[in-house]
Amino acid sequence: MRLRHPRAPWRSALALVAAVWIGSIGTSGEARAEYADVVINNYSDAAGMRPVIFPHWFHRIRFRCKVCHADLGFQFKAGGNEINMVKIIDGQFCGACHNGDIAWSVENCNLCHSGKPGTPTQVHESTIQKLAIQPQAGGQQ
Amino acid sequence: MIRTLRNPAVALGALCCTLFATGTALAQQDKGKAVYDKVCVACHSAGIAGAPRLGDAKAWAPRIKTGIDTLYGSALKGKAPAMPAKGGATDLPDADIKAAVDYMVAAAKDGGSGAAATAPAAAAPAAAAAAATKPRPAALSFNRLLKPASKRNPPPPEDGIHDPQNDGTHALQPPLQVFESLPRSNAGNRVDWVKALDNNLIAPRWDRTDPAAAPVVMDLNIVREVKGSMPDVVYPHKQHTAWLDCSNCHPQIFIPQKGANQISMAAILLGQKCGVCHGKVAFPVSECRICHSKKKNVMPVKNAQAN
Ligand code: HEC
Ligand code: HEC
Ligand code: HEC
Ligand code: HEC
Ligand code: HEC
Ligand code: HEC
Ligand code: HEC
Repeated sequence: MRLRHPRAPWRSALALVAAVWIGSIGTSGEARAEYADVVINNYSDAAGMRPVIFPHWFHRIRFRCKVCHADLGFQFKAGGNEINMVKIIDGQFCGACHNGDIAWSVENCNLCHSGKPGTPTQVHESTIQKLAIQPQAGGQQ
Repeated sequence: MIRTLRNPAVALGALCCTLFATGTALAQQDKGKAVYDKVCVACHSAGIAGAPRLGDAKAWAPRIKTGIDTLYGSALKGKAPAMPAKGGATDLPDADIKAAVDYMVAAAKDGGSGAAATAPAAAAPAAAAAAATKPRPAALSFNRLLKPASKRNPPPPEDGIHDPQNDGTHALQPPLQVFESLPRSNAGNRVDWVKALDNNLIAPRWDRTDPAAAPVVMDLNIVREVKGSMPDVVYPHKQHTAWLDCSNCHPQIFIPQKGANQISMAAILLGQKCGVCHGKVAFPVSECRICHSKKKNVMPVKNAQAN
C-alpha cells in the first residue's frame, strides 16, 4: 500500500466523508460506467491492445467472490495480479473459466479488450477515485 | 341558442381530438420502443449478422431511402439472409412491428440517442409538443451535480470507459437488462446484492465448476462502538461469509479477534479495512446507515426539554 496511514482524528475523517459525498455527486464528465468495473491496463496499451475491462456485476451474478479471490488467487488490487495472455492460455486467472468450457474462450479478444485506449488501471467509481486521489496505476512492479 | 351551444361543443371536440392525437402518438412511440427492447434488440443493438444497429445513421440511411413501406415489408416478412419475419416474434400484430420500425428509423435520423421519435401523427399538437420537448439549457436543469436517473447504469457503449468503436463492446450485456429484475438499492450498482442472494434471485456459484457447492455461513455479529454521535457499527459475518471465504479477510485484513483491529473511517475511505471492498465492489461508503446500524443504548444525559 503506497498510501500513507493517516492518523487522522475523526474530524478529518468527516472531512473525507464530506469529500466523498461531493465526489459522489460531482461525476467527472463522461465517466459513468458501472460501479466496480475494473480496468486492467498494465501491458495492453503498450502492446497495442485496448485495455481490459472486467465487469464485477456480471461475474458476481454467476460466482461468489470466493471463487476468484480465494480459489483462483486474484489479489484484491486492480492491476495487482500481473495477468498476461500466456497465463490466461495456461488456465490461470481469466483463463480458469474463459477456456471454452465454463465460459467462451480466449479467441474473443474484443470482449475483454474493450476499453478506450489510454484508460488507466482503475476500479471504476471507487471511493478513492471520487476523492480524486488518483489510484496508483497498479502493478507497476 | 343552438348555435351558441354548438360552438363550445366543437371547441371541446377539437380539444379532445388534439389530446387524443397526442396520446396515440406518444403511445405509439412507447410501443415501438417496447417491442424493440423485447425483440429486435437481440440483433439490432450489437449488429448481429449485419443487422443495422439502432441509432447508426450511416447504416440506416440507404435503407431509409428505399421508403418506409419497404422497411415495413422487410420487418414483417423478413429479409434474407438473416432478418427473420417479425424478428421471430410472429405472434405480434403487424402494428407493433411497424411501431418498432418507426422507432428504429427515428433513432437513426436522430443520430444515435433514440430519444426523439418522429411521431408521425403529431401534426396537430406539434407546437405544444415542441415547446414541451425543447431542451432547456443545462444551467437550468433540476439537478446540477447529482447524476440524473437516466444516466445511471448506462449500456457499455455509452458508459465512458468502453470503446464504442470496438465491435465486442456492442456484444456486452447492458446492466439494466439484468438489474431491472433485481432488488434495487441507493448506491453502487444500485442493486441490493444481499437481498438478491437471500431471495434466490441470483445463484452465484461457490465453486468454479460445481453448481451444488454451498458456503458454510457463519452467523456472528461483532459490534464496534463508535465515539461521538454516530450509531455503533454492527459487522455481520453472515452476509459476508455468504460471499467470501474466511481467508479473504483473516488474517490479512482483520485479526480474528473482537476489538483487536483499529478501524477508522479515514482508513475505510482510503481503501483499507472495510474499505478494501466497500467503496470498490461491495456497497459504497456513502451508505452510512447500513454499517452504523445500532442505536446507542446508553443515552448520555436525558434532555430536560419537553419535546
Ligand atoms: C478473458 C479475457 C481476455 C481475452 C478473451 C483476451 N485477453 Fe488479452 N489480456 C487479458 C488481460 C486481463 C490482460 C492483462 C491486461 C493488462 O494488464 O494490460 C491481457 C493482456 C494482453 C496483452 C498484453 C500482455 C501480453 O500477454 O502480451 C496482449 C498483447 C493481449 N492481451 C492480446 C490478446 C489477444 C490478441 C486476444 C485474442 C486472441 C486476447 N488478448 C484475448 C484478458 C483477455
Ligand atoms: C470472476 C472473478 C471475480 C469475482 C467473482 C469477483 N471478483 Fe473481485 N476482482 C476480480 C478481478 C479480475 C479483479 C482485478 C484484479 C486485477 O486487476 O489484477 C478484482 C478486483 C477486486 C478488488 C480490488 C479493487 C482494488 O482495490 O483495486 C476487490 C476489492 C474485489 N475484487 C472484491 C470483490 C468482491 C467483494 C467480490 C464478490 C462480491 C468479487 N470481487 C468477486 C475478479 C473477481
Ligand atoms: C435474428 C436477428 C434479428 C432480429 C431479432 C431482428 N432483426 Fe431486423 N435485421 C436483421 C438483419 C441481419 C438485417 C439486415 C438484413 C439485410 O439487409 O441483409 C435486418 C434488417 C432490418 C431492417 C431493414 C430492412 C431493409 O429492408 O433494409 C428493418 C426495418 C428491421 N430489420 C426491423 C426489425 C424489427 C422491427 C425487429 C423486431 C421486431 C427486428 N428487425 C429484429 C436481423 C434481425
Ligand atoms: C470464475 C470464472 C470466471 C473468471 C475467473 C473470469 N470469468 Fe469472465 N465470464 C465468466 C462467465 C461464466 C461468463 C459468461 C459467459 C457466457 O455468457 O457464456 C463471463 C463473461 C465475461 C465477459 C462478458 C460479459 C458480458 O457482458 O457478456 C467479459 C468481458 C469477461 N467475462 C471478462 C473477464 C476477464 C477480463 C476476466 C479476468 C480478469 C474474467 N472474465 C475472468 C466466468 C469467468
Ligand atoms: C469480510 C471480512 C470477514 C470475513 C470474510 C470473515 N471475517 Fe471474521 N471477522 C471480521 C471482522 C471485521 C472481525 C472483528 C474484528 C475486530 O473486532 O477487530 C472478525 C472477527 C472474527 C472472530 C473473532 C470473534 C470474537 O468474538 O473475538 C472470529 C473467530 C472470526 N472472525 C472467524 C471467522 C471465520 C471462521 C470466518 C469464515 C467462516 C470469518 N471470520 C470470515 C471480518 C471477517
Ligand atoms: C473482503 C470484502 C469485504 C470487507 C473487507 C468488508 N465487507 Fe462488508 N460486505 C461485502 C460484501 C461483498 C457484501 C454484500 C453486499 C454488497 O456487495 O453490497 C457486504 C455486506 C455488508 C453488510 C450487510 C449489508 C446488508 O444489506 O445486510 C454490512 C453491514 C457490511 N458489509 C459491513 C462491513 C463492515 C463494517 C466491514 C468492516 C469491519 C466490512 N463490511 C468489510 C464485502 C466486504
Ligand atoms: C462499510 C461500513 C461503514 C460505512 C458505510 C460507514 N462507516 Fe463509519 N465507521 C465504520 C467502522 C467499522 C468504524 C470504526 C468503529 C470503531 O471505532 O471501531 C466507523 C467509524 C466512524 C466514525 C468514528 C470516527 C472514526 O473515524 O473512526 C464516524 C464519525 C463515522 N464512522 C461516520 C460515518 C459516516 C458519516 C458515514 C457515511 C458517509 C459512515 N461512517 C459510513 C464503518 C462504516
